[in-house]
Amino acid sequence: MDVKIVKEIVEMRTIDEAAKEILEKAINEGIETAWDRLEAQQPQCGFGQLGVCCNRCAMGPCRISPFEDEGPTRGVCGATADTIVARNLLDDLLVGAAAHSDHGREIVEVLLKTAEGKSQGYEILDVEKLKRLAKEYGIGTDGRSKEEIAKDLALAMLEEFGTVKNWIQFAESRPPEKTKEIWKKAGIVPRSVDREIVEAAHRVHMGVDADYVNILLHALRTSLSDGWGGSMMATEISDVLFGTPKPVESYINLGVLKKDMVNIVLHGHNPVLSMMIVKAAGDPSLVEYAKSKGAAGINLAGMCCTGNEILMRQGIPLAGNMLNQELAIATGAVEAMIIDYQCIFPSITFTASCYHTKIISTSEKAKIPGAIHMEFHPETAYDTAKEIIKLAIDNFPNRNPDRVKIPSKPVKMMAGFSYEVIKEALGGSFKPLIDAIASGKIKGAVGIVGCNNPKIKQDYGHVTLAKELIKRNILVVETGCAAMASGKAGLLLPEAADMAGEGLASVVRSLGIPPVLHMGSCVDCSRILVLLADIAKEMGVAISDLPAAGAAPEWYSQKAISIGAYFVASGVFTVLGLPPKIMGSPNVTKLLTEGVEGVVGGKFAVEPDPVKAADIIEAHIEKKRKALGI
Amino acid sequence: MKTVFVRPERCIGCRHCEIACAVEHSRSRDLFGAFFEEPKPSPRIHVELGVEFLTFPNKCRHCEPAPCMEVCPTGALYRDEETGSVLVNYDKCIACAMCAMVCPFDIISFKKVWHVNFLKTVNYKCDHCIDRQREGREPACVEACKTGALVFGEVNEIIRSSRKDFTLRTTKALEGEEAPELPEGIVAFREIMKKVAHLGPLG
Ligand code: SF4
Ligand code: SF4
Ligand code: SF4
Ligand code: SF4
Repeated sequence: MDVKIVKEIVEMRTIDEAAKEILEKAINEGIETAWDRLEAQQPQCGFGQLGVCCNRCAMGPCRISPFEDEGPTRGVCGATADTIVARNLLDDLLVGAAAHSDHGREIVEVLLKTAEGKSQGYEILDVEKLKRLAKEYGIGTDGRSKEEIAKDLALAMLEEFGTVKNWIQFAESRPPEKTKEIWKKAGIVPRSVDREIVEAAHRVHMGVDADYVNILLHALRTSLSDGWGGSMMATEISDVLFGTPKPVESYINLGVLKKDMVNIVLHGHNPVLSMMIVKAAGDPSLVEYAKSKGAAGINLAGMCCTGNEILMRQGIPLAGNMLNQELAIATGAVEAMIIDYQCIFPSITFTASCYHTKIISTSEKAKIPGAIHMEFHPETAYDTAKEIIKLAIDNFPNRNPDRVKIPSKPVKMMAGFSYEVIKEALGGSFKPLIDAIASGKIKGAVGIVGCNNPKIKQDYGHVTLAKELIKRNILVVETGCAAMASGKAGLLLPEAADMAGEGLASVVRSLGIPPVLHMGSCVDCSRILVLLADIAKEMGVAISDLPAAGAAPEWYSQKAISIGAYFVASGVFTVLGLPPKIMGSPNVTKLLTEGVEGVVGGKFAVEPDPVKAADIIEAHIEKKRKALGI
Repeated sequence: MKTVFVRPERCIGCRHCEIACAVEHSRSRDLFGAFFEEPKPSPRIHVELGVEFLTFPNKCRHCEPAPCMEVCPTGALYRDEETGSVLVNYDKCIACAMCAMVCPFDIISFKKVWHVNFLKTVNYKCDHCIDRQREGREPACVEACKTGALVFGEVNEIIRSSRKDFTLRTTKALEGEEAPELPEGIVAFREIMKKVAHLGPLG
């Protein structure tokens, strides 16, 4: 292809400079990427995009014409556009909640096995947090070993996946009273993690819930069981096992790969795998082994949220976010990509087959044809981790140096802003932050979260919105691929204060922190919830009264739907950069973008243009400030 | 003469028409059967992306006079007098592509079809579902289109009815009544997708 045309294509696809270099290489080498597949999928079905297609039962598939005067108005079963759209949304949401919560359960199970002495390589690192959580759960700590406490805590949490207890501790002890009252009144207090998900799956069956309002209320309840349940457990117990994040410096973008080292990319979500690989990679015998194969050492790089987990706790550099996964392989410099689950392109083995890269799958629930499967179990975790690394090292001599291209400039960043760190940075209480907000130095705070989606130029939505907000003296906290986008754009550095408005800049400068704070992985959106809850509690208001908002400018995943919904259900105004598949039902759209505010205090808006999104967020924050009299 | 009239503002890019057309022109005329056929049937209507995620279902317009017919050196293209359809005699087609060069809609392409010797590719453009029409049925694409983007009928009839609609909307608007041409959900969705188009690689 003509060099100029390739450059043009690349410019339209991403703003990540390192990614541009490799995307160019990929195009020239004929490597297919998600962008190509998106193009090949055009046009995409309007029924699907509008949410009015139902493929649930064998009387269908059915679709409702979005043009009222023509075409079918009900499915074979009689479902209207409202019912079908609401059911589809609940279905997506329950999948997202299940993904987070199943991940959370696995971590709690590792805690249990570790407490029982049945796991290999894991330890209970943050004993202080363990004790704090035990207290919250009413578990005695005096005179007890950390293993005893951990076992009780793990069992208490696992109980909340079932239906006997019928309430979730974090959803009870953490939100402000006013927010809990709102949930009670709306009838959406989550009862158990799995129960809400299973019930959601039940409700979308033909002939169960047909009332879109009722369906959406349960969607909110299910999302709360994720945000204040499964996800929150994932975050807290990961901290117990691997340490609560503290500020760390590291580097990001495809330039973190090393020419002379064995490059291992850790891709997926659960720290149970990636943290063990990090541990094993430090094993001197493996480092020696790598040298014996002609490498200077072992270089780990994170990808997607498991990358965030090891960045936050160990400062491991990040190769990039969701749309960088194929490009990492296209550098020609990756010996192995180790995956667990979520957000891994099923075509990744196909991409890898064009290079020497080996894809190693590790979870029994996520196998990919063409991958080498080395199943990971807590009982043998360390051994398996070593084996996997050895396999990567063995692959180093197969690398073809003529096909290697590594971008030259990784970007420096700062991460590790857990709830605890933010509180500590403020001197142990949120009062200074509240004062800064009251004085107007900081107008409010916004959580920017979510994925990449090739429909929007990679990172453009995230970065533009973050820049716009800090310019307007709005503090930004981030997780997931959004945080990585900011990292790549240099926003996760104290120096980025120069891009912030005067008020915000003065505050973050005095604290020595960036104006955009990296709070972790997608399950760590639960850290944002706790942060909001504690600020609201200190002010004696509901979360919905705070001058705060959420945004997911480039979201793609069902998990993002669940996150968006638990933000909204918790009282947060949330702006989506791409429309959810609901617009075929004006009733559902109206409820989620207007009516729901009267019920839970939060609501959705859709605004792809990040500058306009910043406008509506700022207006919302001003409105909330006014209502608070500040 | 009846025609397949396109109302592009109603096309939502679902491609039901494409599938229905391919199945109609398969040997088995069955969705599941068509999968296993060799050569695989292809649609003769093409729903492609224009600007801002908008689509247009493009197919043979069965022109009169038909430029393709006029240039065909072998007489492979002929008109079915009863329905006015421009049809291809696959046996005569030599795949010279003269027709494709002059077709104002660029809807002629070539492939193997089960109707003739497998070794040969032919102009496999829309045949106006001639078999169905002879049975008094509407074309497959029209039947499949659930949004009313494809309408089959006498062109003047169709236009008369949309003209009536227009008059109704215009007079309603004069009375200050809301009279949108398209439902609000679609309008709002297209507004958003217009923005998305300008933020991504598909703009
Ligand atoms: S093939 Fe093209 S030129 Fe020929 S009748 Fe059809 S639309 Fe007209
Ligand atoms: S390609 Fe076939 S139908 Fe077209 S002009 Fe040539 S012979 Fe005629
Ligand atoms: S009229 Fe028949 S042949 Fe022509 S595009 Fe429609 S379905 Fe295909
Ligand atoms: S079936 Fe109708 S709406 Fe769907 S793509 Fe074809 S013309 Fe467009």
